[in-house]
Amino acid sequence: MSTDHTELSARTFVDVHDIQEELDQVRWGLHADGEGSEAAQHAAAEARASVCNLIAVVSNEPELGEVMSVLDRLSVTNPSRTLILLAQHTREADKLEAEVSAQERTESGHRVSTERVILHAHGEPARHLASLATPLLIPDLPVILWWPGRPQFDNPLFDDLCELADRLVVDTDEGFDDSDLARLLEVARRNKAQASIGDLNWARLIAWRHVAAQFFDMPGMLARLAHVHGVSIFHGSDGQTAQARLLGGWIRSRMARVGIDVPLEFRPEDSLEHGVHRFLIYTGGDEGPARFSMSRLRGGRLSTQIRLGEQELAERTVRLESRATEELLGIELTLPGYDVLFEEALDAALR
Amino acid sequence: MAQAATPTITQNILRDGLILPRTPDPAAMVIFGASGDLTARKLMPALYNLALNRYLPSGFSVIGVADTALTEDEFRAHMEQAVQKFSRSQPVDRAVWESLAEGISYVRMPFDDAAGYGRLAAELDRLDRERGTNGNRVFYLATAPQFSVIIDRLGAAGIAKAGEGWKRVVIEKPFGNDLKSAQALNQAIHAVFAEPQIYRIDHYLGKETVQNVLVFRFANGIFEPIWNRRYVDHVQITVAEDIGIERRGKYYESSGALRDIFQNHLMQLLSIAAMEAPPNFDADSVRDEKVKVLKSIHPIDVANDVVRGQYGPGWVGGQQVPGYRQEVNVSPASTTETFVAVRLKIDNWRWADTPFYLRTGKRLPSRASEIAIQFKNPPHLPFAKTAVQELTPNVLVMRIQPHEGASLKIAAKIPGPVMRLRTVNMDFFYGSSFMVESPDAYERLVLDCMLGDATLFAREDEVERAWGLVDRIEAGWASQPPPAFPNYAAGTWGPPEVDALIERDGRRWRRP
Repeated sequence: MSTDHTELSARTFVDVHDIQEELDQVRWGLHADGEGSEAAQHAAAEARASVCNLIAVVSNEPELGEVMSVLDRLSVTNPSRTLILLAQHTREADKLEAEVSAQERTESGHRVSTERVILHAHGEPARHLASLATPLLIPDLPVILWWPGRPQFDNPLFDDLCELADRLVVDTDEGFDDSDLARLLEVARRNKAQASIGDLNWARLIAWRHVAAQFFDMPGMLARLAHVHGVSIFHGSDGQTAQARLLGGWIRSRMARVGIDVPLEFRPEDSLEHGVHRFLIYTGGDEGPARFSMSRLRGGRLSTQIRLGEQELAERTVRLESRATEELLGIELTLPGYDVLFEEALDAALR
Repeated sequence: MAQAATPTITQNILRDGLILPRTPDPAAMVIFGASGDLTARKLMPALYNLALNRYLPSGFSVIGVADTALTEDEFRAHMEQAVQKFSRSQPVDRAVWESLAEGISYVRMPFDDAAGYGRLAAELDRLDRERGTNGNRVFYLATAPQFSVIIDRLGAAGIAKAGEGWKRVVIEKPFGNDLKSAQALNQAIHAVFAEPQIYRIDHYLGKETVQNVLVFRFANGIFEPIWNRRYVDHVQITVAEDIGIERRGKYYESSGALRDIFQNHLMQLLSIAAMEAPPNFDADSVRDEKVKVLKSIHPIDVANDVVRGQYGPGWVGGQQVPGYRQEVNVSPASTTETFVAVRLKIDNWRWADTPFYLRTGKRLPSRASEIAIQFKNPPHLPFAKTAVQELTPNVLVMRIQPHEGASLKIAAKIPGPVMRLRTVNMDFFYGSSFMVESPDAYERLVLDCMLGDATLFAREDEVERAWGLVDRIEAGWASQPPPAFPNYAAGTWGPPEVDALIERDGRRWRRP
């Protein structure tokens, strides 16, 4: 794909009405009095594809740079209005600054236009950024709140923004421990009617879940699902266990739906890198023992195998996508709202 | 925890919440014509991409069948090269390819050789035993002139016989070359396969944007209320190609635009543009509605409602190109049409008296496939005392390719003290909202076939209805004096008569 990227405008403001006005200008090419050039009027009559409002919260300048580049790449597949909130609760004097910019990209002949507002607040305004974000959203489009890193669950800004958002997206692979997972579950339950929860780590598990489900799509294998008696998950020993916990929680919660309590065995191993490496499902019953295994290979692949007793069935190698953050975010943006499976997996992972 | 009793599981609970298609049963796909262009360019790359993206089951196997002298290793190497060259996902993942290639074998035989089918049966038995394909078979016929022979031999050898597993047959176009031959082919296939086992491919239906027309119409509440004779003035459907016949002179001489595009792609676009909303999207519900459209087409008056043309030399895209009669493998006195335009009417409550203008051709100024709905003007012009004397009608265009998307032409006021209007286009590009790579049409269609979903394949009655129309046009042409071909220069929008076809109704062709 060929990409052409143009920054159309980038100016700094301090008043919400000024920001709104500048947003109108960069979106539609209008002058301040609402009139515009003929070219601008033509642009105004063109349909603009925007799929959502995206709010990202960052806590420092280096993080801001990383988030901006992720959102830039995301905008290619998901043209959105983006608000990046940099809230610094420092002892500095109250301060609020906004930078409005518009980007235009041409990718393989298609033009995509997006606007970005960076709101940078110190002191008291930092606590009330939600009130500033609200008037800057495009009406009728869903609001996605992306909170990179571990969310500040006790910060009132977190609650305010969750109230504003249709979906909260986090990444439990970014250092979430059990207490963070428990807080997230609490938020998921509390916000059921408002912001649904999306987890980039959960999206990373789609391939594992897909392949595990495919084992039991095969003729004659469905009956074995009723005889699952154990699961082993091998993962890296770097202390980051959320991914393995979620995968285990997923199968445990699914099996619990049919009244089967599946014991989970977690096997951290020093020789393994970060994340889940092997996922084994053991079944028994009248048809004899079977083992369904998935192993992560180097180069973004997953090898799958079924062993029935001593007999090995055909092996298969498929892709295990190693997705960049913007791709995972893109998946989150296309998913329907409340994800009961995620909540149940989280719940089962913590039990 | 003690478990009281083993639960009965009737569905795969691990699949809950996964927005991914079901996995097909392990199966063997037998490709007749395996050394040909279609297998290399489309089928094998489609199978590789399906395998890569986890859509193929363990044990999935391919048997290539052709009369080309190749060892099994040579055939695999040939297929690997094809995937390297034509796969949409690059670079090719060697481990995934090898995993797929383990299940690829090759049987060399002439398609009419009864003994060859014995070897094929033995190979299928081996796959059942060793790779667990369980008698599930897809017979993919990628070799048009020999469909009947292959079907007949498959039947005689008992390979397609019902028994353990399912059996399906995929037939590439052209499905016959007139109504009689299509009926004969249907009859020959039905001697071995029942209709639900038959998958007639029109790859247009596998295109994301063609499916999007259905979504556009039936997933948005605002269009259907005005999608009828009360609001629509007429419909124009165009499948224009800027290329010539390339190296297909031999095929095209016996086909022409009528058989190559009109009978299949244009009829499919007409059907999905004009059909009623099906009660659901299962194969027969959708195809029932499409067939109703074809059944409702008013008998065509060929002398007045059809224009044919053949391109002469000209300029396309700044390049000088030869005329059709100068192409390789084309007779210098050929009367084969490279352009056809038809005016149709559909006799039903939705479309009575609303003309549909269809056109397709080679060596036209640009490449475009689209359905354009032109709406009627407002019943009253309230700007009588102003500079506005007339209005340009609203047009909704659904573009299939290129620039997939939709456009709506509307009138807007030019700012200023005087009431002046200008027409503007509101353009929506699918690419701007979903800038992701779409799967190839063959990936979707092969997977659908393996899953037993025939919604995007043509049914017997659909194909025969379309051929009935073609026969009527052919019969009309046969009763007319031979055409004075060539009658349009390459790089123009067809012969002059095509303008008269629409202008006598007080309308004009769009420039796509």
